[in-house]
Amino acid sequence: MNLPLTDPTLLAQDIPESLTARLRSSGQAVCIRFSHAGDLLASGTAKGTIAIFDLETNGVARKLKGHTAGRTVQSLSWERSGRYLLSSSIDWKVILWDLKDGSRVRVVSLGAPVYIAELHPRNHLQCVAALYEYRPVLADLSDSKVKQYALPNLPKRAPHEMDANPEKADAKHFTTVAAFTPTGSHVITGTTKGWLNVISTTTRETIYSTRLCSKPILLIRLSTSGRDLLVNASDTIIRTIKLPDLSSPNLQPDSIRLDVEHKFQDVVNRLSWNHVAFSSSADYVMASTLMNHDIYIWERGHGSLVKILEGPKEELGAVEWHPTRPFVAATGVESGRVYLWSINTPQRWSALAPDFAEVEENVEYIEKEDEFDIHPVEELKQRRLDQEDEEVDVLTVDDEQLEREGARGGKGGDFRMPVLLDVGESDSEDEIVAIGTGQFRRKSTAQDDSEFMDGDEDVNGHVEESNGHAGSKRRRGD
Amino acid sequence: MSITAIPERPGRSPKRKRSEDSPNGGIPQYDGATDGAALQYAYDEEMPSELQSPEEQELDGAPAKKQKVERPTRLNYVPYMTLRGHKRGVAAVKFSPDGRWIASCSADATIKIWDSKTGALAHTLEGHLAGISTIAWSPDSKVLASGSDDKIIRLWDISTGKCTAAPLIGHHNYVYSLAFSPKGNMLVSGSYDEAVFLWDVRTARIMRSLPAHSDPVSGVDFVRDGTLVASCSSDGLIRIWDTSTGQCLKTLVHEDNAPVTSVRFSPNGRFVLAATLDSCVRLWNYVEGRVVKTYQGHKNEKFSISTAFGTYGVEDDKPAEVDGDEEEQKRDWAFAACGSEDGRTVLWDVSSKEILQELKGHDGVVLSVDVGLEDQTIITCGNDKTIKMWKRQPLPVTNGTNGTNGTNGNHEPSATEPTAGTLDEG
Repeated sequence: MNLPLTDPTLLAQDIPESLTARLRSSGQAVCIRFSHAGDLLASGTAKGTIAIFDLETNGVARKLKGHTAGRTVQSLSWERSGRYLLSSSIDWKVILWDLKDGSRVRVVSLGAPVYIAELHPRNHLQCVAALYEYRPVLADLSDSKVKQYALPNLPKRAPHEMDANPEKADAKHFTTVAAFTPTGSHVITGTTKGWLNVISTTTRETIYSTRLCSKPILLIRLSTSGRDLLVNASDTIIRTIKLPDLSSPNLQPDSIRLDVEHKFQDVVNRLSWNHVAFSSSADYVMASTLMNHDIYIWERGHGSLVKILEGPKEELGAVEWHPTRPFVAATGVESGRVYLWSINTPQRWSALAPDFAEVEENVEYIEKEDEFDIHPVEELKQRRLDQEDEEVDVLTVDDEQLEREGARGGKGGDFRMPVLLDVGESDSEDEIVAIGTGQFRRKSTAQDDSEFMDGDEDVNGHVEESNGHAGSKRRRGD
Repeated sequence: MSITAIPERPGRSPKRKRSEDSPNGGIPQYDGATDGAALQYAYDEEMPSELQSPEEQELDGAPAKKQKVERPTRLNYVPYMTLRGHKRGVAAVKFSPDGRWIASCSADATIKIWDSKTGALAHTLEGHLAGISTIAWSPDSKVLASGSDDKIIRLWDISTGKCTAAPLIGHHNYVYSLAFSPKGNMLVSGSYDEAVFLWDVRTARIMRSLPAHSDPVSGVDFVRDGTLVASCSSDGLIRIWDTSTGQCLKTLVHEDNAPVTSVRFSPNGRFVLAATLDSCVRLWNYVEGRVVKTYQGHKNEKFSISTAFGTYGVEDDKPAEVDGDEEEQKRDWAFAACGSEDGRTVLWDVSSKEILQELKGHDGVVLSVDVGLEDQTIITCGNDKTIKMWKRQPLPVTNGTNGTNGTNGNHEPSATEPTAGTLDEG
């Protein structure tokens, strides 16, 4: 409801400008994900815990513990209404959480460390997961006895493309990343040998494959429209690809062509990219860089670099763009903190008094003819009251506003995150404690986070451990 | 920031008082019983027809506006229950969002939770060290926040009646007004220390301090989607704030600059309703910054009196003669309600500014009013230490038999009970 009062120049900005906040730490965050409504941010830590941040208060709304302590959370995936969250970890497990009470709806062991797991966009009881040195899995969680279906690793190739010795060539060919299309009709996977596979979720067969490069694919992301694909590969090139409408009923698999639209890379410094994301409208692509503190933002129309977001003095891991606003979150690789970039909103002085106006230059005031006429007070009052004859409607909420208010409009139930008053005071490293009326002191860091098992000690050891599993990929935020 | 150790009310804003003792003495002369036993609720005996002023009865015959379904020009809320138990004036009364409970707070430093159906006292919440000026329900109806003259805001668990571990401490003076955000994750508070604080409810910490006013902050509210906060003060200003940035987006001032004692957003969030100490309640279009309606007819010169919105439709028992036009038939109109220092509570139609009804029953100032339970019930409270519930009844037949069915309806919630009278015939 603040839109009519917001400065239009602020509304016109669509990329964030500067670092504006840091979330109070809740452990060494390694992967983050915004909820679809954008009011919550889930963060998974290197120690296997998950914290849900409320972005209105920047505080922890819920903590979830269930993955093996000390094992890195690899990926997070929200259900549309924001009630369910899927997390995966290198402890082999995929957990579906119900945020209403923090319970675990399903805990599935997939038999191998999980690279990434994603919920079906329309059915939160189905998910796809890419596993370390196994075939990717499509899991049906609707029953407590979870059904797992293996998906193919290998690309679909015409007979003449087959290598002379297929067994040998395909032996070390694994899927590293999997993502649903927005309707959930297909899964797009990326492999260690740079192939993209489009797999139908109904037949579980690869319907199309293409090779982007010879290095492993690190991350695949789809825009909300489902027509744009963003691929980060370890050859230091980020590619955007236009997708055909895969949900169309008369889709001919043979007619699919995936053409690279843009390639983004740093040809001078040969920077490689930790993590990539689309902006909310998919007009921009952003990436965090290896061994560098900045976030790069490219504009997709011309493929040009438009912004380098300067960050804190540390390398950034996972980056995420808010689903609706010019608002970016990223995790610090060393500290595990979550940093937030947004636009600056200066106070408009004209808002502080009704007769203030902001002017570009001096304006000569022209007195109105009747400005100093004297009218009887009563007459003025009566005249003013008589003018109040319009019909006012204080009840009807326009559809646009209902839409903006989100979930209730019909996008999937009306889940509301319960407000826990005992979520724990141990969620912050620089907690201010009230010790009397209007008196505060800084909580000592010694007692910090003991319950939530985090802190900065032996963090590096864990990062390395996860690297060991991830093979050639140095760090996987998602 | 004025930090004063003097235990008196700051002289800066002498015009306003709230939850003061009623004139007949500060010593609680209650019948010594425990709180549970002190509950004495009674069914009031007044006849609804006695409630109508002659002026309203004139209105009855007037033709309604050109609408397919005529808007009722009168409402008929009748006294239904009186809740007694507070030992001093009752400053605020609120229905829980789920309609199940009524919370009231008083200058006697207690909060009482009543069952809204039976009027039975469920809890007496004790813990504040001074009178309580304001209460607010969390959206899930599980938590009640209270702000007191002991400068502390407390959160109470309604299921246990216990105070949660961490009170919200930070204000330097009396806490005067509170509101929960629609998600229940934030609380906004206005205080005599002239500041507005936004609190993170989960951690009980101040998220943001708004340098709001130059006089005590008398009212605060959240808009329906939580993106805006309104505050008002006895400096005569109403300010609209952006919740996420903490910046002032708009300032509303009426030229008379009368102290503003309460502010609240309309149900659709497009207007704010503000009560001022010049005996006016004004409806502002805050985006354009102008008054669209001024409601008068009550007396409000000294006390902080809160306002409320409610809706009313064509009475349920009205024959379904307009069957063909379902949508039109279901149309609701809005009313604004405000207490008065002469013991009345006045209900105005929002658009026409007509007085729809005056609820008479309190002795002395009516400090707070709330509308709940599908707008069929109004609760009021005042300096006479009582809380009164009013139920909507069909209008009595005005031609011929003089509304005896209204009297019968007094004793049970029979708003749906069919009666013979309709407005058209009147």
